[in-house]
Amino acid sequence: MRLPLLMSAGLLLVALLPCPPCRALLSRGPASGARQAPQYSQPLDFFQPQPQPEQPQQPQPRPVLLRMGEEYFLRLGNLNQSPAAPVSPTSSPLAGGSRRSRDKAAANFFRALRQQLPLPRRSLNSPAGPGERGAESTLGGHQEAPERKRRSEEAPISLDLTFHLLREVLDIAKAEQLAQQAHSNRKLMEIIGK
Amino acid sequence: MSSTFKLQCHFILILLMALRGESRHLELRERADHDPFLRFSANLKREPAEEQLYRRALRCLDMVSLQGQFTFTANRPQLHCAAFFIGEPEEFITIHYDLVSIDCQGGDFLKVFDGWILKGEKFPSSQDHPLPTAERYIDFCESSLSRRSIRSSQNVAMIFFRVQEPGNGFTLTVKTKPNLFPCNVISQTPNGRFTLVVPHQHRNCSFSVIYPVAIKISDLTLGHLNGLQLKKSSAGCGGVGDFVELLGGNGLDPSKMMPLAELCYPFHGPAQMKIGCDNTVVRMVSSGKHTNRVTFEYRQLEPYELENPNGNSIRELCLSHL
Repeated sequence: MRLPLLMSAGLLLVALLPCPPCRALLSRGPASGARQAPQYSQPLDFFQPQPQPEQPQQPQPRPVLLRMGEEYFLRLGNLNQSPAAPVSPTSSPLAGGSRRSRDKAAANFFRALRQQLPLPRRSLNSPAGPGERGAESTLGGHQEAPERKRRSEEAPISLDLTFHLLREVLDIAKAEQLAQQAHSNRKLMEIIGK
Repeated sequence: MSSTFKLQCHFILILLMALRGESRHLELRERADHDPFLRFSANLKREPAEEQLYRRALRCLDMVSLQGQFTFTANRPQLHCAAFFIGEPEEFITIHYDLVSIDCQGGDFLKVFDGWILKGEKFPSSQDHPLPTAERYIDFCESSLSRRSIRSSQNVAMIFFRVQEPGNGFTLTVKTKPNLFPCNVISQTPNGRFTLVVPHQHRNCSFSVIYPVAIKISDLTLGHLNGLQLKKSSAGCGGVGDFVELLGGNGLDPSKMMPLAELCYPFHGPAQMKIGCDNTVVRMVSSGKHTNRVTFEYRQLEPYELENPNGNSIRELCLSHL
């Protein structure tokens, strides 16, 4: 009597036990509640896809690290594409005539600025120079030391820019920031208005 | 109670427990979202759609004061380029390499400097920065992708780069992170108000305004914040103990600027000074024994104030060093 009862109870248990893991899922696709992994907390995670919020429908290709001869590339997607991402004016949220004219004015300013700029320091006579030379020499044992030394000696570690020009570019940056803030506010008001 | 009845009750209890577990095994999924390849898509980790990332091209000489993605593409050999990054005083700058295509072996370089450096003068100065000068330069060609994300120690950073091959370039994403106790700051604006707090830290902090300004210090606390002011919180000025100094000069490095005033006693009430130099710095020296705080306002000097200096003005002193 007991044995059939126990056997039937066991069979019922086996039949009714939930498939592991026992869980309750409520999935509505890429939800706002989904945990967003910090984007830049894993510097070694080369294969972490990059976010592209402006193209939500396209699957994100994985980055591929290549070393081709003397060049280092960090590519995303098609290897045949240009390594540097092209900048499309239409992708900018501030695309518009006013922005283009502002960009053109800024570009003209910077073109004139570069013409006025003196040559950057090459003699490394600044206080930072000896420090960097020391950093370069302490690396030691590297097979590419001559190329690196040559590169560091040629590398401008400082910029000869007057305060007047620095303030000018700072003003331009502030204007850009304000324009972007105005654009964000306008979008927010449009959303609220709906 | 008979043993049979007990067994039946146990059997019923077991059944009820099993059924309760089964009722939790619910899986609701909208048919429209059912995508077996969804788990392999990167969209799960992307930013919310509402958060648009600002994008634009980076110029050979540029200043960036907002978050976004910036792409530099050389249309011709660009040998001497630099870009400044500046955030709000209470922010760090983080620079993330999204894509880099430069010929390191051919002489290209891309370096991030922790701070600003102008004509060989650095901000923060070597005395006020936690890292030695050599470590403040982070060379992409040397560190490569081991340092893919770089965070500054203050609200300013800059990059130097050279790209010789047309078509080569790089893309950076610049973001900001909050800094609870800003220490070294360059103000974006010539007018403003700021409270510099150094909470029990043995460090020196500078607030720089790259304009001729009038500084008005409204509150200075050297010691405990509970109002118990020390009559003499330190051994006095003269570079000893905790104090605040006003510096003026025509360079970026506070250690090379002229000390114009020293404050080593706490006080309330405004104390104003007009400084007609290209750069004005409020620097707090802290021993770490106390929590020090200084509140000040600054406004840009008008042209007539620069032409006719009077009163508490240091313009002549700065001009003499031009």
